[in-house]
Amino acid sequence: MVEVSVFDRIIERYERSEESLLAILQDFQREFHYVPEEGIRRLSEVLRVPESKIYAMGTFYKALSLTPRGRHVVKVCTGTACHLKGAPQILEALERELGVKRNGTTEDGEYTLECVNCVGACAMAPVTLVDEEYHGQTRASKVMDIIRKRTEE
Amino acid sequence: MEKISVIIDGKTLHAVKDRCVLQVARENGIYIPSLCYNSEVESSGGSCRVCLVEAHQGGRMRLVTSCNYPVRAGLEVKTDTPLVRRIRRGVLELLLARVPDSEVIREMAAREGVTEVRFRRDEGENERYKCIACALCTHVCAEVVGVHAIAMTERGADKKPATPYHKPSEVCIGCGACAYACPTGAITMKETDGVRRIWGKDFPMVRCSVCGAPHIPEAQVDWIVKRTGKDRAFFDKCPDHR
Amino acid sequence: MGAINSIEQLESYRRELASKVRADLPTVMVCFGTGCQANGSRLVAEAFMRVIEEQGLKVGVNLGIKTTGCHGYCENGPLVALKPQDLLYLKVKPEDVAEIVEETVKGGRVVERLVYRDKITEELVARYSEIPFYKHQHRIALRHIGTIDPTSIDDYILVGGYSGLAKALTMKPEELISEVERSGLRGRGGGGFPTGTKWRSCAAVDSDVRYVMCNGDEGDPGAFMDRSIMEGDPHSVIEGMIIGALAVGSHQGYIYVRDEYPLAVKNLTSALEAAREKGFLGPDILGSGFAFDIKISRGGGAFVCGESSALMRSVEGNVGEPRAKYIRSVERGLYNRPTVLNNVETWANVPEIILKGADWYAGMGTERSKGTKVFSLVGKVNNTGLVEVPMGITIRELVENIGGGVLGGKRFKAVQTGGPSGGCIPERLADLPIDFDSLTEAGSMMGSGGIIVMDEDTCMVDVARYFTAFLVEESCGKCTPCRDGLPRMLDLLNDITEGRGGDEHVAMLEELCDLLTWGALCGLGTSAANPVLSTIKYFREEYDAHIKERRCPAGVCKALITYSIDAEACTGCRLCAKKCPQECISGERKKPHVIDTTRCIKCGVCKDVCAYDAVRVS
Repeated sequence: MVEVSVFDRIIERYERSEESLLAILQDFQREFHYVPEEGIRRLSEVLRVPESKIYAMGTFYKALSLTPRGRHVVKVCTGTACHLKGAPQILEALERELGVKRNGTTEDGEYTLECVNCVGACAMAPVTLVDEEYHGQTRASKVMDIIRKRTEE
Repeated sequence: MEKISVIIDGKTLHAVKDRCVLQVARENGIYIPSLCYNSEVESSGGSCRVCLVEAHQGGRMRLVTSCNYPVRAGLEVKTDTPLVRRIRRGVLELLLARVPDSEVIREMAAREGVTEVRFRRDEGENERYKCIACALCTHVCAEVVGVHAIAMTERGADKKPATPYHKPSEVCIGCGACAYACPTGAITMKETDGVRRIWGKDFPMVRCSVCGAPHIPEAQVDWIVKRTGKDRAFFDKCPDHR
Repeated sequence: MGAINSIEQLESYRRELASKVRADLPTVMVCFGTGCQANGSRLVAEAFMRVIEEQGLKVGVNLGIKTTGCHGYCENGPLVALKPQDLLYLKVKPEDVAEIVEETVKGGRVVERLVYRDKITEELVARYSEIPFYKHQHRIALRHIGTIDPTSIDDYILVGGYSGLAKALTMKPEELISEVERSGLRGRGGGGFPTGTKWRSCAAVDSDVRYVMCNGDEGDPGAFMDRSIMEGDPHSVIEGMIIGALAVGSHQGYIYVRDEYPLAVKNLTSALEAAREKGFLGPDILGSGFAFDIKISRGGGAFVCGESSALMRSVEGNVGEPRAKYIRSVERGLYNRPTVLNNVETWANVPEIILKGADWYAGMGTERSKGTKVFSLVGKVNNTGLVEVPMGITIRELVENIGGGVLGGKRFKAVQTGGPSGGCIPERLADLPIDFDSLTEAGSMMGSGGIIVMDEDTCMVDVARYFTAFLVEESCGKCTPCRDGLPRMLDLLNDITEGRGGDEHVAMLEELCDLLTWGALCGLGTSAANPVLSTIKYFREEYDAHIKERRCPAGVCKALITYSIDAEACTGCRLCAKKCPQECISGERKKPHVIDTTRCIKCGVCKDVCAYDAVRVS
């Protein structure tokens, strides 16, 4: 259970307007690795915006997740250039090695596997992101090594 | 109110400027199928696409949704061309694939000659068995009732109206306006022993002091009293015995 | 210094900055774009700092160092450019730094192994401006990228920044609008709507509040010019927006940036602060009395938010659903007020157009598509990256002259343009000049300028399936044709690529395409048919091969291919057998290996690891 004051500290950084909703939800996401239910409720109270509306935003925007993500988030770029250069094989390899499907989190809560529709680093395709760090020209046979190296540091 | 003249299906009609094509057509006895639009709900419309018609204006033709396309001078509308019928049939076939058990959709589709679905049936969850995700229920809840208990959640094929976290809503008053407005009868509202159940929540009803019939949820009375200052005693009797 | 209060003060400040710069001072510029940072450019920059600190005192080398935005040649990063020699070093590692300082900076010699080597002629090209990738370019929107430090407003001012604004402040709004109209500038975000016309319509609406917005929600997969501009030259966008605000009479602007671009958000945020401090934004811009400011709005990972009405809903703090555009956003846009929304690249062009004039800009490009366009040339091509060239260049010139041809000498099959709203253009139409109208006529679209090169190993049915799957995921779900039509299209394409396609599949796809084109609510849906229709139109034989022969000619569709090992090419190194997740490759050391196809899951790992190209897909 997160203290209400933790949410308030984030909410206070922004103007009290509906315009700030998405930015605040993203800050919740960064802080807690997901958007907690109590956070949505608190935001609804403080900004006087219906909870149903904020919840709907939480389900609509891909950057937000309503369930906790793993300690490490691995994102496979599935933009067109990456697709042509082997992203499907990388995704498959990760699904196999991590034992989860896309958007899934490993049982030990260590990794969440996601896809992202183009990170704009097409010249380095195929790209895999490990905790927001870009890795270009990744290969299906090597991708797990990158992840292990990066997350064991 | 400025009046202008428009042509719909060859007939010259006088209409209030900026009123939507669908309303003008209805006022003049011209049938255009429609599902997601309700003239009492401002932001309704535009999503189901069954009311598409040809709009000819300024030498240009567009297919537009008649429920939110404003009539202006010089507009000519055609509601029954081969293009309109082709696209309308396509939309209805998709809806039929989505909710094959909805009588409303079956009838509307049959009227356009669509009785079979060639596409794979949508294997949706039961809760949206008849739901066409048109959002009318959420607009009614937000704009007409003003409680915002439900909203359209998710995206794409998963889009559906829901309460936050699919839990019994804290703000729902059980008024049932969403269920009355739903064009396909997709929202279940049941009453047993003076208790109404809707969106997974039970609402005890006020019983009429004359006939004993349960007629309004207590939560709705609270809401109306709080919002309008109306005397609570007014709701002791059902509309038939006031 | 604090705020600059007049145009004269801006010019004297610029002179003051210029007087401090020593032209003879060698400068190293380390690329700090997303790509180069991923390749380790931060470590390279740190190594330079260290070497300068150590040697600077000892040998008296005076070396300036700055970090720049993305040069657009990310594949070869980290990139290091050197002035005054006009050199570009590729793939620089921290351990190369001491040598660069010793040889090039002190000795004036070129470190050959870090220089561009032409993949075909093997020729070495050391000078930045001579590298084929850059030689054919004409950079306007990308004018400062790679040469200035995006985090320094002084760097921008020094190269002439904000003089377009200074000139605009001496012009009437009407003059600004007609200048942009005459330039022929069309929206770089996709639709190609004339920018001046948009401004004029907005200015004509009677309203006390107007908004100026920048669409930085670059969602087309394969396009990243807007990222590069926002990261590498944020002030050019800000300056363009201030000029736009002056023209239409707006006092509040918004920049909507994709959530996937954190560095763009960071650089824009600091640029806005610097611009406010210097008086380019705020209540009294350059002492003119004109007030304007800009807010940043971060997207939330939704492709549909690149659509103008959805973007505005998102900025207002809602789910990003589009609405019917029977009333245009120039009349009722953000908060139902008249709004001008242009994309990043469009805004970045504006200051140059005002400064150099409409005639200068209209002198480039084709009759109906003026000026230059930034393309992101990616996919199966030798030189990948951002390319800015005059409109009207042919696809072939782009792929062959600038891109250096198809990767690995394979056959050039097609280019995909316009992202999920665009289509595939076959090699036989590669002499088509690229402009807004010619691409649309060919069944594709300019979009934001992504040019994805495809070779013989690309399956066109798979490409259609890929884009349809993309759109299924990104459809907002508001209207029936898009929400329910796209999944049905994907079912059909899955059937075809998985060997279940029947005779009626293509006709049904075409029917659904027709339904989307006419019936969908917004541009995402109405253009969603293009990837499918263009591949059916130009590559029908590939659809037929999948359906009638259950064969994927490109060897991509998993259900229709088998992996095998070429006994002659196999050296028996055992690597594939070791790496195979199914452990279904057998064979003795130094003898040809064999794949047990009954257990093979076609994951491609064996082909990926084989150093002898012995794994065959058929």
